[in-house]
Amino acid sequence: MDILSLLTPIYFVLVFVGIVVGIIFGSIPGLTATMAIAVCLPLTYGLNLNMSLALLLGLYVGGISGGLVPAILLKIPGTPSSIATTFDGHPMHQKGEGELALRTGIVASLFGGVFSAAVLFFFAPALADMAIKFSYVEKFLIIFFALTVIASLSKRVLVGLFSGALGVWISLIGTYDTTVGGNGDTRLMFDFMEPYLADGFSLLPVLIGVFGLSTILQEAAQGVKGGGLAGMALSHRTRFSLRVFKGQMVNLIRSSSIGTFVGILPGIGGSAASVLAYTQQKNFSKEPAKMGTGVPEGIIASESSNNGLTGGALIPLLSLGIPGDSTTAVMIAAFTLQGVQVGPLFIGENPQTWDMIIVSLLVANLFMFVVMFFAIKYIIKVIMVPKHILYPGIIVMCVIGAYAINSGIMFDVWTLLLFGLFGYIAEKLGLEIAPFIMGFILGRSAELYFVKSLESFGNLTIFFTKSPIAMLLWVLIALSIGYSFYSVMKTNHQAKGANGG
Amino acid sequence: MKKLTLGVCLALGGLIGATTAGMAADKMIEGNLRVVIGSNATSGDTYQVSAIVTEALGKKLGVDAKVDAVGPSAAFKALARVTDGTTIMIFHDQSYLGYLYGIKGYDDIFADYMVGPTLAINPGNGYLVPKKSPYKTLEDAIVAAGKGTKVRVAIQPGGVSEIGFSALKNAVKLRFPGQEGNMVAVNTGSQADKDQLLFDGQADIINGSVQANEQYTRLPAEDQKAMSFVWLTASHKAIAEARAEGFGKTSRDELLKFVEPNVNVTQDGKKNFVFDKDFFIIYNKNMKPELVAYFDKALQEIYAEGKIATAEKAAFFTPNFLPTAEAQPYLKNKMNDYGTIIKAIRQ
Amino acid sequence: MGSGFTQLFDVHIEFSQSHLVFPAIVGWVLVVLFGAIVVVYGPGLVREFRSGKRSLALGGGDFDKFRFLATIALTIAYFQSMEVVGGFFPNKGFGFLIMSIPVMFLFSLLFVHGLTARKLVVIGLNAVILPSVAWYVLKELFRVSLP
Repeated sequence: MDILSLLTPIYFVLVFVGIVVGIIFGSIPGLTATMAIAVCLPLTYGLNLNMSLALLLGLYVGGISGGLVPAILLKIPGTPSSIATTFDGHPMHQKGEGELALRTGIVASLFGGVFSAAVLFFFAPALADMAIKFSYVEKFLIIFFALTVIASLSKRVLVGLFSGALGVWISLIGTYDTTVGGNGDTRLMFDFMEPYLADGFSLLPVLIGVFGLSTILQEAAQGVKGGGLAGMALSHRTRFSLRVFKGQMVNLIRSSSIGTFVGILPGIGGSAASVLAYTQQKNFSKEPAKMGTGVPEGIIASESSNNGLTGGALIPLLSLGIPGDSTTAVMIAAFTLQGVQVGPLFIGENPQTWDMIIVSLLVANLFMFVVMFFAIKYIIKVIMVPKHILYPGIIVMCVIGAYAINSGIMFDVWTLLLFGLFGYIAEKLGLEIAPFIMGFILGRSAELYFVKSLESFGNLTIFFTKSPIAMLLWVLIALSIGYSFYSVMKTNHQAKGANGG
Repeated sequence: MKKLTLGVCLALGGLIGATTAGMAADKMIEGNLRVVIGSNATSGDTYQVSAIVTEALGKKLGVDAKVDAVGPSAAFKALARVTDGTTIMIFHDQSYLGYLYGIKGYDDIFADYMVGPTLAINPGNGYLVPKKSPYKTLEDAIVAAGKGTKVRVAIQPGGVSEIGFSALKNAVKLRFPGQEGNMVAVNTGSQADKDQLLFDGQADIINGSVQANEQYTRLPAEDQKAMSFVWLTASHKAIAEARAEGFGKTSRDELLKFVEPNVNVTQDGKKNFVFDKDFFIIYNKNMKPELVAYFDKALQEIYAEGKIATAEKAAFFTPNFLPTAEAQPYLKNKMNDYGTIIKAIRQ
Repeated sequence: MGSGFTQLFDVHIEFSQSHLVFPAIVGWVLVVLFGAIVVVYGPGLVREFRSGKRSLALGGGDFDKFRFLATIALTIAYFQSMEVVGGFFPNKGFGFLIMSIPVMFLFSLLFVHGLTARKLVVIGLNAVILPSVAWYVLKELFRVSLP
């Protein structure tokens, strides 16, 4: 059957519904793309595979993209992969450039999404073959590489590293789970805590606790002053034009590639992509000191990489049967429910579905762009909502998200409060939140790949000698550390210069 | 625009919300029925079979029923709290194997909970080697281990994935006493991790499944990713009753080559080891007997109607309904058998 | 394993103890970093405390103790009551619905400044509408689990 004959009105409606529902889930703090797909899965029972995928890919792209809205307007990442969008997005918003920030993010998202769809289409089987060259050792080095970015994210390197290590340590609380190959024993707790802490802390409640609830606690401590969120001058709006992207082509391509690459490697954790792209942009930036103060290049890096993730994460799913991130892991259920097996022969045996996936991904990105670009006018109004209306609403939505993320676990709701308080106190103590979250996100994978490498090989030198890829990764790690020290020095130098002048 | 979205959502919602009354008249469940499962994944076999059974059960009982993928420890915890039958659990042999292997968070389900009816078997659990492996059959590997070669088997520790390995080790012990130490477990996690160990040459045999690995067995031998089945642990009966077309492009007859008696792993010198991955319901220990009968009756009717068998077979499950009274001794028996094996190789 | 040099780096991890390896390493990293922070920033901090520039008290001059503590207390009450109330209506999400309405109302009253009759109406409507819509759309249409 001709593929054009499959592009029926109902197909477009499904992608469109997926996009809109996805954006709504992505932009409400506490609800994520993963959850959007999980809750819509039963809706696909009645559809055929192509139609289900149209809906689910719409949800995926919409959910990942929607996360930029609260990241910029509320400084709460709507979905874990938009953490780095808060770094420059929110400062821009505070300067009154919220609309510019949103539009920049959306254009960057579109680029990242289309880029990754192209990579998926042209290189999927080849990249999948590359992905299986990454064993425990190489995966540990990638994680280690991602952890080195903590240094360049930090305002004070020592404190940042400490915060990052603390994040890793807290992520290890719980069971060394047998489902990942651990021995099922608990650690870092007293026996009486086991009933509560056996599963450890989940990422989403920790994230919305540290970013969402702790902001509200901070505001409460300061008396919740000011009516709307925007004491920020809406009046001197900077108009969006594509000129923002001048000189950002390298950034766009690098960040999209990082996103796609992180997506390809199963078990690295998609949330790391945006932070990785952000810090690499910072390392290469002409003015690294400005990153974090509200410049478009930070948003471009973060948003192009997290949409770049989408196509990347589909590569191992469709050519190995292995999901590349937690969202595609849920998506695999749509295939099994339809009785279609994904594996190394999937693309060859289902050429039509494969074509439809690429088309759906492109259509979804285009719809996302159109819907978001024109909805901004209304979205931006959220900052006019008075805080006494907005904050209670955020609390309620965070509760829903925390409770629902693991299909209904009350402990996750308490985690939300615990880490809300932690975020508040950490800020007072001078700990750095972004490095902490990075450590928390990567901690468990770092442990697993490190310990399993040693269990397999029994010698520390294996991290250097395993393969050419391992050696290349060490070069990258050395460069990343070198660059971050260099940029810290450059920043200090610039700051001194500014003070002196 | 928003109205359109809502409209479509409502329409889609209506599709799945529609329930028909069956035993709704003498309803014993107040509120909605929550089915917790011992897996966090919505992509796995537990979710799949639970979704099929839960949908049918919800319709039959006239209640709103939903599967919650909360994972083993949270599922047992949720189950322990609710005695009125509004929360029940669906899980498989992992529930008692975890206890036999001494994994934290697993209690004796026969002592601390109530074992309910069985629902279906997933006959796909098996073991694979690389296509270029020196071991063409499982017998080759057993004999090699018996003669002193180290054979590394990638498994997920502490349950369904390990029991076949334990049986292999036990078979080596029975046939080549003292050599069982050559059968070594490489403890790992997901199917992706097990596959990766095979690609890396860090494992000689991996635990896998028909569902996850069938396509890999059809790759040409020169592909690094190519694998072959050497053993499916299911009983001959469970595979023989599976869908005739088999799975993917591998027919049932081809799959039967990897099942006993064509593959022999001795359990005690006389009997062959088999492992059928059974899915069954677990109740709160203090749930009233009337409710047990109520669920039994509903499931009995569902399985008698036959539609569920078609759905289960389509998803490559073998229907296997046993009411509570028959399921309990059946599963207890399995637990005793496997307990003996695990004890034997621990000595 | 290997030559004399690489033997120095041999590590054997016992599977039954493997859950403790990485926490121990991270624990030591934390200790070392903490030590380094004390050495680098310690003297400066001590000076700031002595001169009164910094204090351990929770807020500064404009610390709104009442709103802060009440927010925490209300959150705890909210979470606790949600589960208890939900227990009466198994798996229907009523715990969330019934408790969110008054809690949102109280949160709004806590955060609001210069309460007027008009604001009160908006707060009341918001407290009823948002949880109801969220409950209906998420629980009833999308079948998300709620307490």
